[in-house]
Amino acid sequence: MAIIERPSLAPAVIGDEVASPPALVTPTAAMGVFKRPVSTTGWKSWVFTVDHKKLGIMYGAVALFFFLVGGAEALLIRLQLAAPDNTVLSADLYNQMFTMHATTMVFLFVMPMAAAFANYFIPLQIGARDVAFPRINAVGFWLFLFGGLFLNSAWFLGGAADGGWFMYSPNSSPLFSPSHGIDFWLLGLQITGIASLVGAMNLIVTILNMRAPGMSLMRMPVFTWMQLVTQFLLLFAMPVITVALFLLGFQRNFGAAFFDVDKGADPLLWQHLFWIFGHPEVYIIILPSFGIISEVLPTFARKPLFGYKFVVFSGAAIGFIGWGVWAHHMFASGLGPVSVAVFSAATMLVAIPTGVKICNWTLTLWGGKLWFTTAMNFAIGVIVLFTIGGLSGVTHASAPADTQQTDTYHIVAHFHYVIVGGAVMGLFAGFYYWWPKMFGKMLSERMGKWNFWLMFFGVNLTFAPMHILGMQGQPRRMVVWPSKLTGEGFFNLGFWNKVATLGSFTIALGVLLFVINIIITTKKGAKAPLDPWDARTLEWLTASPPKEHNFDSIPTVHALDEFFHRKYEEVDTADGARLVKVKTGEEVLAIEEAAGDAHIHLPSPSYWPIVLALSFPVIAYGIIFNRMLSVVGAGILVIALFGWVLEPSVADDSDYDPPAEGSGPTKELASIG
Amino acid sequence: MEQSENMQSRSCGRRVAGRRYVALAVGVGVLLAGCAKNAPQDTFQPAGSNARKIDGLQRELFYISGVVGVIVFAFVGYAVWKFKDRGQEIPEQTHGNPKLEILLTILPAVILAVVAVPSIAAVFELDKKDNDCVINVTGQQWWWEYDYVQGSTCGGVEITKSIVTSSELVIPADVDVLLRITSRDVIHSYWIPRLNGKRDAVPGRLHTLRMQADQPGIYTGQCTEFCGLSHARMRQAAVALNKADFQTWVTNQTADYVAPEAGTLAATGEGTFQAQCSKCHQVNDLKTADGTPVLAAPDLYVVSGVAPNLTKLMTRTAFAGWTFDLISAECRDKLWNAPPDEFGALYLQGVTPECFDEANLRTWLRNAPAMKPMYADPAKLAATGGKTRGMPNLNLTENQIDELIAYLLERK
Repeated sequence: MAIIERPSLAPAVIGDEVASPPALVTPTAAMGVFKRPVSTTGWKSWVFTVDHKKLGIMYGAVALFFFLVGGAEALLIRLQLAAPDNTVLSADLYNQMFTMHATTMVFLFVMPMAAAFANYFIPLQIGARDVAFPRINAVGFWLFLFGGLFLNSAWFLGGAADGGWFMYSPNSSPLFSPSHGIDFWLLGLQITGIASLVGAMNLIVTILNMRAPGMSLMRMPVFTWMQLVTQFLLLFAMPVITVALFLLGFQRNFGAAFFDVDKGADPLLWQHLFWIFGHPEVYIIILPSFGIISEVLPTFARKPLFGYKFVVFSGAAIGFIGWGVWAHHMFASGLGPVSVAVFSAATMLVAIPTGVKICNWTLTLWGGKLWFTTAMNFAIGVIVLFTIGGLSGVTHASAPADTQQTDTYHIVAHFHYVIVGGAVMGLFAGFYYWWPKMFGKMLSERMGKWNFWLMFFGVNLTFAPMHILGMQGQPRRMVVWPSKLTGEGFFNLGFWNKVATLGSFTIALGVLLFVINIIITTKKGAKAPLDPWDARTLEWLTASPPKEHNFDSIPTVHALDEFFHRKYEEVDTADGARLVKVKTGEEVLAIEEAAGDAHIHLPSPSYWPIVLALSFPVIAYGIIFNRMLSVVGAGILVIALFGWVLEPSVADDSDYDPPAEGSGPTKELASIG
Repeated sequence: MEQSENMQSRSCGRRVAGRRYVALAVGVGVLLAGCAKNAPQDTFQPAGSNARKIDGLQRELFYISGVVGVIVFAFVGYAVWKFKDRGQEIPEQTHGNPKLEILLTILPAVILAVVAVPSIAAVFELDKKDNDCVINVTGQQWWWEYDYVQGSTCGGVEITKSIVTSSELVIPADVDVLLRITSRDVIHSYWIPRLNGKRDAVPGRLHTLRMQADQPGIYTGQCTEFCGLSHARMRQAAVALNKADFQTWVTNQTADYVAPEAGTLAATGEGTFQAQCSKCHQVNDLKTADGTPVLAAPDLYVVSGVAPNLTKLMTRTAFAGWTFDLISAECRDKLWNAPPDEFGALYLQGVTPECFDEANLRTWLRNAPAMKPMYADPAKLAATGGKTRGMPNLNLTENQIDELIAYLLERK
């Protein structure tokens, strides 16, 4: 039996390796009068946790909250557009609404929800007990939460950002947007940006260094692979937007002139900076969901992913080519024909690896034994809806065609098919697939099916008409559309606007069912077995929910889909070899547990991540309202940094109440931490 | 357990397949059924050579995408139906087929190459700048200004004197004109869907866009780069006239100022205009009683530094960023639906007393920001040093409004 130990003088043991004695000596006890927060239950165990699973759940819960906020914003937008010259929202409020809808959905829902799955499942999938830097993981979550709350607090402090999510200059300068909304926006995104950046570094180090013995890169689950590509994209993309936001922040708050035309600046500088970040961002949004459905489809088709290597390399190829296509957002910006031609061709190139993925997923279904769970439905839904989004994308990869389509509802249709039909539906596949593992309870499949079909029809009802609206001349971001431009016939543009509004409420109903499903499941859901789906990868080789240390013994990996191959073996029968389930998941786990490690050390919880994260919104409020507040925030930041640096990674025995008997303070560095 | 699982998945499978067909049918239906007829900004109804070139490209792309889509959906649908769990064996654990993979990589590459070549050729063709007729187009919050460059020859008509107008771009039919587009404040985008794609108006930069209309008619458009509070109310139109009509239009635009007849309401209105409107709005050749030219100085009062030139206001059919009609809905429909050979004569009538929609202009003069939001809140003018972004509420009396309307009605 494995036990989690308090620190002792014995060397830490992880797997079969004995950690060498630490070369560095950290202070033996936490500084100051406070004891380390070591409790494993109660609210403190969440607020001060460094456990990747708890952080993953918190990421998910907060992202879901912001999903509902962004969804409510979307519904208000669709209500306003349901009728000509409508007056549900004023022009000012409408502009804030679509800016914040996009910002919330991209930065506060899809990205952190993907981070939630990354946090929870990457260590499990690669057979690790935590991420490489648990406290950095914690600070990432708190920065995301505080950044998101800070960003949204603008609603109550004079109005939210009103420049559209790509915040084109010079419309974003104080002359044209005099409220503080854009300051909240750019400072909030800086804060959540730090979260993304430290998260990316953490996960890259984790994936590259902490895989279980035998798990070569080409035996790594596709979800982890796609997350690895995503994290590299974040690592290189976030600095670009950080620079752009700094320039804008200095322009708005300190009189700098980076985008001031009168002083000789070129406003296209902002567009280039934004889209050099913004296009890889598209892949940051979509690749995690590609990863999720690449796990879900093989599991429920009962066969390996078709062309694993091609899927992995096409994911990496998308990651690379994604850097060379940003100017396709600027085909109408006046770049000149040579640039436009080059970026047009490069954009078409991206369609190739994306097409490869679609083919591979479909061929994974081919010849399988398909089990249509809710997760599987969502995954197949992604194939269908993402294909529509991808094909409409090809129609505006052609630059001349794009000059008709850009900034119209056709584009809105395209990216919502990609983001809602692709990324969000993929995340929902993840919810239904992994929920039993995360919470030990089965989400209701019955409600899940309703949830899926409502969302699937809802997405088509909402966004398919937008293709027509855009092609027939309705631009995006307009608070009103006049009836004189809607054309004639039953299928006039007014009709399609109403259908889109109806569709948006259908999606909302689907999401509402999901929330109800969560509540009912939490109260009285069926208890989940450890392997309800007969799954294939290592995260299922744990209890449901997993123990705090994930694995009693770190599994040794022999193949892609290791867990499947431990359950199934080829048995010779009269009519040839057939695959037979020789062990259940429980039996496989029992074998592992019997050989559990004797000593497992996990990093201890810490106060400092949340304190450090808290300093940033204080500094940011200071920049907007009173610089003295920034000084206070900087003070908190310095204290938190010192506290963090001087804190040992593992709590001293004196932190426990009562202190452990007999054992003195330790000079151990935990092997993980 | 295994048994019940299979049963459950079997019944689910049937439901999934059934609903999938419904979903597909609905999807295809949506794509095929439903375009509006005669939508004024329909990119699928090009009315000029540039838009037609794009339309050809666009249709090719839509057809190819449609066919690829149908193949993929048929393939997915068939796989979902064919391989649902009917209690068959666990399939062989194959990891793929490299030859098929390579084929499936090359195939889209070939399709895309076929699409890419005409696309890129069109990029260069649409960028040509060999036109004789050049019109400067300048965007600002929230309207477009046109300046017909002196010395240009537009369809054989020489522009002898610069013409400054707004919202309605009048061009000779069947002539490729070149727009030189820029902005005075934020980024806007000029788009007349039936004549060409859009081009951004970026401050500090000059972009060009070709425009050609086959036949006389009116082609509506909309600013398509988000440009702040009243972005939705920044519209425009292109009006194509045959050569003779265009000559008439040019002659009228460059004609001398005709003062209202003394003693009329309009004559009082001229004085009111000078007192209330001339600070920003230019009427060419307008003079005070003592003969001093009246020069507007909008740069002192408006952020963008300009206001629409009203010399020939009533030759246009809408105002305030082409948002509000100057003519009644009935007259508008008649004009918009006029056959090409009758269109010119109808358009050149301008705003006639029978067609004049007085309510719109009157409401505007009473309180412009109430009709079109323009950051009129004084608290929001701090950043601009008190300058407004559009027309402020001038607190005019009803009498003043009567006078102004009478005066403006003669500006044609």
